[in-house]
Amino acid sequence: MKKNIQMPKLSEKMESGVLAAWNKEVGENVEKGEVLFEIETEKVVSEVESLESGVLEAIYFEAGDEIKVDDIIAVINCD
Amino acid sequence: MKKKPEWLKVSYNKAAVDEINGIMTRLKLNTVCKEANCPNLGECYKKRTATFMIMGNICTRHCRFCNVSSGVVEPVDPNEPMHLAEAVKELELKHVVITSVTRDDLQDGGARHFANTIRAVRKLNPEVSIEVLIPDLKGVNDHLDIIIEANPDVINHNVETVKALYPQVRPEANYEQSMHVLNYVKTRAPHIKTKTGIMVGLGETDEQIYQVMDDSLEAGCDIFTIGQYLRPSSKHFEVKEYVTPEKFAAYKKIGEAKGFYYIASSPLVRSSYRAEEALRSDSHRREALGNEANGGNNCDLY
Repeated sequence: MKKNIQMPKLSEKMESGVLAAWNKEVGENVEKGEVLFEIETEKVVSEVESLESGVLEAIYFEAGDEIKVDDIIAVINCD
Repeated sequence: MKKKPEWLKVSYNKAAVDEINGIMTRLKLNTVCKEANCPNLGECYKKRTATFMIMGNICTRHCRFCNVSSGVVEPVDPNEPMHLAEAVKELELKHVVITSVTRDDLQDGGARHFANTIRAVRKLNPEVSIEVLIPDLKGVNDHLDIIIEANPDVINHNVETVKALYPQVRPEANYEQSMHVLNYVKTRAPHIKTKTGIMVGLGETDEQIYQVMDDSLEAGCDIFTIGQYLRPSSKHFEVKEYVTPEKFAAYKKIGEAKGFYYIASSPLVRSSYRAEEALRSDSHRREALGNEANGGNNCDLY
């Protein structure tokens, strides 16, 4: 099963954030709880943990992109 | 957006955050973690800890560093103390930190509600140590007495910044009044640990920081915290400097040498940082400090 990974809302008033880095590459295995990507907001850089285990199948944004909350940024194949 | 130094990195796990948010919503409670957009929220929620914020999520003051909304406040919920006590039980907390918005609209500044909350938590959780982080209550002794009589383990009142920056950062507060709060509590109830803290990176000098330390010690303050100021949005007071972890370590040493019972100083330190540890016995404290010296990292500390 494929799961969409969305841009998280890291704080109540957050509308968007900057993708600081991917910690995994397309085709790489991801374990639940591993850091998948980093988001920079006004205060800090947050290391966002994966909620799924699987293979990172696609990424739709690159480091430096500003992304709106809830936008789909990647797909993990959980099969 | 100002580029962040590498030490301002935190972890975030949505499942853990959703779980704690769910408990708070169900019990109609607020956390300062969420309302102030605390950088440590992800870490703390993952460990099932939070700092409660009572009397609503709207503040009557307009401090330029703070993310809590200002405006028209709502009536105080008389059931909040019991709900908070229930949350402490559900989260199995051993130490609870309770703060509030500033409620200058209330006759007693919210002192009775604080006292009711302390008593409700203690009744349902007699083993839990209780720390309150209070507003200045306009420095009114009678109102401070109401909280003192409820006998929390720690009374914290944050000075927030050095005296010279009050007009820009805390325009509706008063440095001497905040020192009075600390001094009055310690004078009336020497057994209650008193605590204060400041943010750095607002443009203060080292000498001004040391003056706050000296004034706090003069006021009998036991515990002192120092953390990096982080701007919640471009509308807030700007970050003048990202202070290095080495500098924070130097502040800690100086504070310890000056005589604080306990001092926490590092970039992501906030008021409730290691709050429980400051209350532990000296032997436990020595052990914890030893672990830190042996490579403990920030991730374990907030």
